[in-house]
Amino acid sequence: MSDIKIKSKNLNVYYGDKQALFDVNLDLNEKEVTALIGPSGCGKSTFIRCINRMNDVIDICKVTGNIEIDGIEINDSNLDVVSLRERVGMVFQKPNPFPKSIYDNISYGPKIHGKGETKNELDEIVEKSLKKAALWEEVKDRLNEPGTGLSGGQQQRLCIARAISVNPEVILMDEPCSALDPIATAKIEELIDELKKTYTIVIVTHSMAQAVRVSQKTGFFHLGKIIEVGKTEKIFKNPDNKMTQDYITGRFG
Amino acid sequence: MTKEERLKKRHRAEKRFRFYGLSSIVVALLFVIILVNNIFSKGSSAFMKTVINVEVFFDPELIEIKNGATEDEILSADFFDITIETLLKSYPTKNIDEEDGLIDLFTTDAEIEIKKAFLDNNNLIGKKINLEITASDDIDQLHKGNYPRDLPEDRRRISNFQLEIYDNFVESNKIDKNFNNYFFNNGDSRDPELAGIGGALVGSFYSILICLLLAFPVAVLASIYLEEFAPKNKITDFIEININNLAAVPSIVYGLLALQILLATIQLPRSTPLVAGITLALMTLPRIIIPCRASLKAVPPSIREGALAVGASKFQSVFHHVVPLALPGTLSGTIIGLAQALGETAPLILIGMVAFVVDIPSTPVDPSSSLPVQVYLWSESAERGFVEKTSATIMMLLSFLIVMNILAVYLRQKFEKRWN
Repeated sequence: MSDIKIKSKNLNVYYGDKQALFDVNLDLNEKEVTALIGPSGCGKSTFIRCINRMNDVIDICKVTGNIEIDGIEINDSNLDVVSLRERVGMVFQKPNPFPKSIYDNISYGPKIHGKGETKNELDEIVEKSLKKAALWEEVKDRLNEPGTGLSGGQQQRLCIARAISVNPEVILMDEPCSALDPIATAKIEELIDELKKTYTIVIVTHSMAQAVRVSQKTGFFHLGKIIEVGKTEKIFKNPDNKMTQDYITGRFG
Repeated sequence: MTKEERLKKRHRAEKRFRFYGLSSIVVALLFVIILVNNIFSKGSSAFMKTVINVEVFFDPELIEIKNGATEDEILSADFFDITIETLLKSYPTKNIDEEDGLIDLFTTDAEIEIKKAFLDNNNLIGKKINLEITASDDIDQLHKGNYPRDLPEDRRRISNFQLEIYDNFVESNKIDKNFNNYFFNNGDSRDPELAGIGGALVGSFYSILICLLLAFPVAVLASIYLEEFAPKNKITDFIEININNLAAVPSIVYGLLALQILLATIQLPRSTPLVAGITLALMTLPRIIIPCRASLKAVPPSIREGALAVGASKFQSVFHHVVPLALPGTLSGTIIGLAQALGETAPLILIGMVAFVVDIPSTPVDPSSSLPVQVYLWSESAERGFVEKTSATIMMLLSFLIVMNILAVYLRQKFEKRWN
């Protein structure tokens, strides 16, 4: 078994008066893919947005409880979110490359963190990141073209490359394939398989099949509560909870 | 009603709507054409002036300076006698009334024009040259066909004798039309043939420059702060409502404000582009903030999230990503705001820009006029010559506005980046 990378304890999230997460306790293992499943609005995205404190952007959002990464509390107002997000990258549901060149999309992160001092170092980071995201061969001759001109699947891999470029420890993926066709999805899934050797990955997905294919551990959310967590095989073959059983067999959701 | 009837009815409704839309556009265009045609037909003649060709003899007995005189000597010399001599020789007269009538055919600045000719060539003493002297306003209008010469003599400003001289000049080809350099180079004048928009142009330029320098940074920073950094609460809501209200406040109210605060309390010099610029900046601020905020709002949140997710700080995500994307909208909003300020008259009247200013301002703290105020001033003047000047000034103002609006559209299209 791998070590625990991220640990949440009694995590509660409120949007104004509405509570979105109720006492979520969830451990995520290092260098593993954890899939979070559950019906829409159940709090999966809210949960992963707590891990890199993206919820800070929303004025009315309040988070209580603990999240630890490597044993260090991150839900702490004194924590520097910039260095947290350097360690915890994120890929969004809709590909959101910057309207800049492919090169600038990747080099932006390293630049602001002072990771590529010289042009050569930056070139190297860009190449490495694109190779890891399995996009290098497709774009190496047009690095100066706008990132927004790529196809949807390529854009999403560009966003993955952008997340990798700052060399994070954790990558959060919020339904990364929901806007993509099956072929692009397959490429991303292959990529996730490869990336889990280096990174701890948390993926939110609506596709059961995808959860089975890419994850080692699965958590089932319902109405802001975590219903069941366990090894993916177990969750999908022999869940303990009736609700989980109903959801994965498509009886509700 | 059958299905076919319903379908026909729907098609008819659509056709009717198209017809209404088209006719509205035609009506709107018609008004524009009437307006522009009216302005052009009245104003285009102001760009030409009537000149009369006369022979100038620099008689050494009538002038105290010598050939090769320095510039200072020429400027301080008296050319009055030579001027009178020149004008009187241009047509035979019998008595002093006729002499006066003859001299009145020429501009009151005839002496300055002759002096200028001598400045260009200071070796003319004892020589004769042919010079084109600007005609007086009445002759100018007569020659341009704007003067009713069939009125009885007692109701005309031009006497029968003057008409006789004019006809003689026309026959002997002494009268000509030249480009009206005075219209662009001179300040205001009581004599229409000498009046120009030079002062108003410079005044407007300084005013708009000061307005831009004050309003643009304040408006952009305020919009960025309000849109990206300020918490959304009752105070910011209150500020937003106030900004929208300020944009709708009649401009004359800003004039009153400037009159009270800038002129009465702070005692800034009145009728100056400095005060005009500050007043216009106050007025333009909300009008720039609104489009500025709109263009910031139009940047999709996913761009901000993308930047934050790679570890950019809030400041970096705003200034590296959001602001560059909002820039085209911001710039075009600013230019349109400035174009409105350029055409603004009411607040400037209150701060004394209606003063009669002959000199062209050399700094923003010199008394000055501005283009729209010049239009207002000349439209009030009785002299026939100011009618064409008024329209010509409107033409200049309109062309600046058109250029600014085209620039705004161009900037928006050129730098607009598309995202998904």
